[in-house]
Amino acid sequence: MGEPAAGRDADVDDPLYERLASYEGQPAATAVRGRDPVNAPMIRHWCEALGHPLPADGSAPPTMLQVWTMAGLTEPSRQTDDDAPGGRSAAYEGLLGALDEAGCTSVVATNCEQEYVRTLTPGEEIVFDSVIESVSPRKRTGLGTGYFVTTRMDVRAGGTLVGTHRFRILKYRPAEPRSTGEPPAGRARKGNRRPRPVINRDNAGFWAGVEREQLLFQRCTACGTARFPWLPGCNGCGAREWTAEEASGRGTVHSFVVMHHPPFPAFDPPYAVALVELEEGVRIVAQLAGISYRRVRIGMPVRVDFARLEGEDEGLVLPVFRPAGPVGDEEPVCVGDALPPLDVPVTRTLIVAGALASRDFQDVHHDAEAARERGSPDIFMNILTTNGLVGRYVSEWAGPAARLRRVAIRLGVPNRPGDTMTLTGRVTAVRPAPAAEEHGPGRTVELSIRGANAAGDHVTGTVLVELPGRDGKGARG
Amino acid sequence: MSLRGADTLGGRAAVAGIGATEFSKDSGRSELALAVEAVGAALDDAGLAPDDVDGMVTFTMDTSPEITVAQAAGIGELSFFSRVHYGGGAACATVQQAALAVAAGIAETVVCYRAFNERSGRRFGSGVQQREPSAEGAALGWVLPSGLLTPASWVAMAAQRYLHTYGLEPEVFGHVAVVDRKYAATNPAAHFHGRPITLADHAASRWIVEPLRLLDCCQETDGGQAIVVTSVERARGLRHPPAVIAAAAQGAGRAQEQMTGFYRDDITGLPESGVVARQLWRSSGLTPAGIDVAILYDHFTPFVLTQLEEFGFCGRGEGAGFVAEERIPLNTHGGQLGEAYLHGMNGIAEGVRQIRGSAVNQVEGAGHVLVTAGTGVPTSGLILAQDA
Repeated sequence: MGEPAAGRDADVDDPLYERLASYEGQPAATAVRGRDPVNAPMIRHWCEALGHPLPADGSAPPTMLQVWTMAGLTEPSRQTDDDAPGGRSAAYEGLLGALDEAGCTSVVATNCEQEYVRTLTPGEEIVFDSVIESVSPRKRTGLGTGYFVTTRMDVRAGGTLVGTHRFRILKYRPAEPRSTGEPPAGRARKGNRRPRPVINRDNAGFWAGVEREQLLFQRCTACGTARFPWLPGCNGCGAREWTAEEASGRGTVHSFVVMHHPPFPAFDPPYAVALVELEEGVRIVAQLAGISYRRVRIGMPVRVDFARLEGEDEGLVLPVFRPAGPVGDEEPVCVGDALPPLDVPVTRTLIVAGALASRDFQDVHHDAEAARERGSPDIFMNILTTNGLVGRYVSEWAGPAARLRRVAIRLGVPNRPGDTMTLTGRVTAVRPAPAAEEHGPGRTVELSIRGANAAGDHVTGTVLVELPGRDGKGARG
Repeated sequence: MSLRGADTLGGRAAVAGIGATEFSKDSGRSELALAVEAVGAALDDAGLAPDDVDGMVTFTMDTSPEITVAQAAGIGELSFFSRVHYGGGAACATVQQAALAVAAGIAETVVCYRAFNERSGRRFGSGVQQREPSAEGAALGWVLPSGLLTPASWVAMAAQRYLHTYGLEPEVFGHVAVVDRKYAATNPAAHFHGRPITLADHAASRWIVEPLRLLDCCQETDGGQAIVVTSVERARGLRHPPAVIAAAAQGAGRAQEQMTGFYRDDITGLPESGVVARQLWRSSGLTPAGIDVAILYDHFTPFVLTQLEEFGFCGRGEGAGFVAEERIPLNTHGGQLGEAYLHGMNGIAEGVRQIRGSAVNQVEGAGHVLVTAGTGVPTSGLILAQDA
């Protein structure tokens, strides 16, 4: 899949980029109608293909949003007024054509960000407008050199907005085949990079633990004193034998600061940094997440989480702390709660059925030979299926009364036949939902989601879901 | 000179000369040039010639080696040269090292110096973003990835806990800033000469790292300062009355860190300052009541309060009230907030001036001056006294 964190190409002058950038802000599609009305057979087919619960009210799962906008295998979407084939505007055709001419003939989706205003029910006809939001400068990625193109689509039905869909693709010239595991070329070295942990032989065990999402401290074998920071001997008794112990991750804020000045490129002031006292009795400095710097207080309970950084910091994992314990009155869903993991066997059937059920007929998702010609060893899962699986995972946890409000995902390594993707999630924020007449009071829960296979993270993202009431009915899977 | 008994260093050596460059935001010359100039000025002040010098001491952080300063200052053979580590914590320890060498007869006249372009060159306030994987680098490395990158942030972590523990608001740190700026206002050498502030000014200044505001932070300064140390006997024959080194001490606490002392039982105190205080009081036979002027290291205001508490001038949590009532003349040169940040060395010079009776904000009959060094790091302190 794409490497959105890839380095900018070394060449500074790029006349093509200037030409591509001139398309920014132009429409990609205008008033295009969906290929079919929202309909029960496609909903059922899609739910079966992805193992998604079938909504009891007959509505379409929100994560099907893009499906209704997809063109058919041979028939283009219908235009309200004839313009270009496939519902694409002349501008978007021009942009893609320019990329094709430059040899960037391959395409892969890297990000999908959807917000759901309401659900769609069978019989509704959708109309969408799409705009070319941005084109990146030329990037070198693990797949090849190309450009990220981001479009934003508004989907309407019955004259009202039902959802928005921001989509990022990489149009690229395939790289020469290379051995896997090689770090991507051309990574930026400085700039916005966060300071790195200072790792040496004395503390490497701690950072290795962080990679595995374990917070490790030392305990002196001789006198039992818990020790942090890591050192090769005990300040309590001088003994040099020790064991590493995993902390529960629970602690309290012993002190904190709010950083304002000077600014550092990798950080976004103001931000809070805390000195956390773990329940095992040792202290550690870490950033706080999931809470405004204004609300941090000494003594507040926190729980460890592990932040996997992106962009120039891709590959860096750091412990962070989130507020722990109930956020409001009697709320059963708490920040720090983990969703039960879900293993999804990535079968050939799932990949192909998912692609076809989402009306994605790109050959790399069903034709192994075609995929190999494009540099992939086998077919791989399309982003619409991944998006749907994330929706499924959250919907199964949240229960049928919950409403998905937003799904934003970013793809990493591909899901190929034979992989098993394990989805995990964690509650990162809970707040009162905006008043909704139909559903009464509820809570908006923010979730951090990961889907990983043996090669690494296939998908990372955040989901906003509204849970009903305060009784938490159906809220815990 | 120990944690367990009084030492025999007191009264054996004295400061005979002090000299500095101007304090500025852009010196326009090299750090070496600043060092050489300060050394020359200190020797002139003492009435000594470069050839009289046989020892030199500076900070490990200084970029100008003893031999190079000697070379450019006309100084010849050296029998003693030494450097002290831990940033500003070295300040008073350079004088202690010099006094030790003089008392032991290893050197006769030792110059201590510190010079840098800390404003126009490498600004400490601009923070640290990487460290080598040495033991020292790793110690700071625990906090860097989380964005705790500046000296202000390291002090602020302790300051926040201090406020919490004693039920205080960040505005109490303003008392230190107001006193420093009051004295700076009447000191022509001070950056903030003629510019006193009020508590309201302090409270209105912008956040740097909560709970620290701009006016809780010291100057960033270009400049050099040198101190000439020799035996009391020799000093008596020189240009100024000797500022006798009545006591000198270094101190590090249990589980000591450099600026990141977050892991000790109580982070509201400065145990290393307590180690220095115990030695100074024991070796000098003095108590806080015997101190006429206190020059307390003030890179950031909160640790001035902590030092007053560690030295026993007041109880825990009472530092701000003590300063507000001005119960002792404090940082009479304007401190590092008001005069200049010379890594504590300008504070030693002020202590000498008070003993000589030549300070711009002279405290009448100042017989004993306490001077401290960098806080939050292994540190040092001096008690300077008039010649008996």
